[in-house]
Amino acid sequence: MTSVLRQALLIAVKDLRIESRSRQTLGLVVVLGILIVTVLGLGLGSQHMSGSAATAVLWVAYLFSGVLCFEKTMTVERQDGAMAGLLLAPLDRGVIYLGKLLSNLALMLAVAAVITPVGVLFFGFDLSAAPLAFFAILGMSMLGFAAVGTLFAAVVSSSRLQGGLLAMVVFPITLPLVIASTQLTARLSQEGQSWNGSAFAVLLAFDVIFLVASWLAFEWVIEP
Amino acid sequence: MSKQPTLLVRAYWAAAVLALAAAIAVVLFYTPDEVTMGPVQKIFYLHLPMAINTFFACLLVFVASIGYLWQRSLWWDDLAAAGAKVAVLLSSGVLATGMIWARSAWGQWWTWSPRLTFSLMLWLLYVVYLVVRTSVESGQRRAVVSAVYGITAFLDVPLVWLSARLMEDIHPSSVTLSGQMRVTLTLWFLPVTLMAAGLVLARFNLTRRIRERGLTMERRFHPTGMQVSQGVA
Amino acid sequence: MATLTAQTGAAPTTESSAAVYTVALEKWIDDRVILQGITLSIARGQYIGLLGANGAGKSTLLKILATLTAPSGGRLMLFGRNIGRDAGASRRRIGLIGHQSMLYRDLSAFENLEFFGRLYGVGDPAARADELLRAVELADRADDPVKSLSRGMTQRVAIARALVHDPDLILADEPFDGLDAPSSRSLERLLSQLHEGGKTIILANHHIEQSLRLTERAIVLRGGRVVIDSDSRRLTSAAVLKEMERG
Repeated sequence: MTSVLRQALLIAVKDLRIESRSRQTLGLVVVLGILIVTVLGLGLGSQHMSGSAATAVLWVAYLFSGVLCFEKTMTVERQDGAMAGLLLAPLDRGVIYLGKLLSNLALMLAVAAVITPVGVLFFGFDLSAAPLAFFAILGMSMLGFAAVGTLFAAVVSSSRLQGGLLAMVVFPITLPLVIASTQLTARLSQEGQSWNGSAFAVLLAFDVIFLVASWLAFEWVIEP
Repeated sequence: MSKQPTLLVRAYWAAAVLALAAAIAVVLFYTPDEVTMGPVQKIFYLHLPMAINTFFACLLVFVASIGYLWQRSLWWDDLAAAGAKVAVLLSSGVLATGMIWARSAWGQWWTWSPRLTFSLMLWLLYVVYLVVRTSVESGQRRAVVSAVYGITAFLDVPLVWLSARLMEDIHPSSVTLSGQMRVTLTLWFLPVTLMAAGLVLARFNLTRRIRERGLTMERRFHPTGMQVSQGVA
Repeated sequence: MATLTAQTGAAPTTESSAAVYTVALEKWIDDRVILQGITLSIARGQYIGLLGANGAGKSTLLKILATLTAPSGGRLMLFGRNIGRDAGASRRRIGLIGHQSMLYRDLSAFENLEFFGRLYGVGDPAARADELLRAVELADRADDPVKSLSRGMTQRVAIARALVHDPDLILADEPFDGLDAPSSRSLERLLSQLHEGGKTIILANHHIEQSLRLTERAIVLRGGRVVIDSDSRRLTSAAVLKEMERG
């Protein structure tokens, strides 16, 4: 078990090292995220936005940025046939999935670390009620999103890519995530609201089901 | 080389059409109007069977997708595609009838109520399936992408349903059916299911015939039966 | 097809003693047959030349032997082990030099080798990376990103990557492509050295003369089938070419 984690971390660290060399993706994605938040903020009139609206705006930014991150981490493997190099190694295919998932998560969290404060700033979103809960919900949502996105990035990347294909495929699947997390965060900013157990259950179920399913499916679909 | 529909196929469709005619007759002359909504409520008898059949079509896509990933035969892929096309057809119907219901019951064509939201998300899920197929070059690669998506989409359905239930239900609908209404509802399942299943099979057969014809033509140009492609070694 | 033992004069190889043992291997993609009826027995330490025109199935066969692709039918055994769906452990003994470098261009040659070394569980990956870079004469460019290296240098790093875990079976798919004469000769020498060290080598090449000169046994594919399987020294390029062009 620990060797699985060790190998996955190896792959993730390698990805992040590559990203730190080129720095192209992170820069592009962060700026895109800020632009999205700005456009939506301007359009919706950011005087006082409800908690759920602010979360939705952030989600749109995360979704688009996230998809770009997923595409990048897979493209790295498609260049020069590097994926074949990984597949030749005595690795469980699930380890490759896990490694990619970890790098995708790290990139998404890095992007969120920039965009979220911007969003909070623009929309006056009050997090003081339960900041930890907000980040926990965010983290869980991103995990589910990355679980699905990593799988489909692998499936889609080896075909003749049409721009937007990955986004189109991932968005409808992750709609339950968007609903559940916006409902949960909306409650946070309103005082005296009880914890929305069923929304949390949906979030948790999504994460578990798709982590397991994607892990298992990965080896059936990955090709050198 | 056109194939005439066999007697069995003709009989099948005749039965389906007859069942539909009978069901329509029953709805018009036998079933009572619902108290609050009036005659428009009768669209429910079409709506529910379509919804149930949509589920089975989605299940078919799921099973066929697994079948493809397991056996890697395009037979399964053709089946999944046929199922998905019918699923989209049916769920479009569910969405349309749901909106008509909403308009007549609550005066709005659209609300973000659980049922309508669910119908919309389901429709989107499978429309995307079809669009994915047009975006990827046909063959094994398209089949793999479709299969993974087909499995994921179906696994997503319960989550979609649960999350839709989180939406505010401004107009909780409680439908109490009288005896006659229950009979009508049961009756309507027959034509809808027959037609749904028939469409899946018809579409599947069509796809298989086109594929076989394509293969036959290829063999005519390459008598050895083997193709040597450029650069694939 | 005459028996293999008569041609090569080696002791008969059994399933368990052979490096590579295949029975009726076949591969098709989208109803197109790429390989069929491939039955081979390759003893340990043999140096095989795989020949054939483009599209004859060489790359596909190597990919199957490398366990990158599963065959559509038939059986494959490597070093006495049946290769089913889970080929994990056997991969430790296989090294593939492919068309593409399989390297990460933004990382340095050293970082690439260290990464793959760690992946294969090599003891002291950093030292191994240094050792390999010295062997391919790139120690001075070890820390430069791979994208800054010439084609020939990249190829050398790619070869080092294939050897990082000291595999017993080396599969090389047209490794001489794009190499200049001196690099070509270095590679020839390297392969011969590996062969002398007891490694089993299968070299796919479209340069018939070079292949016959370097290897001890030639296997020629046409249309996905084996049409020649014989001692390299007993063949002439002309004969091989003729066989390749038939049909």
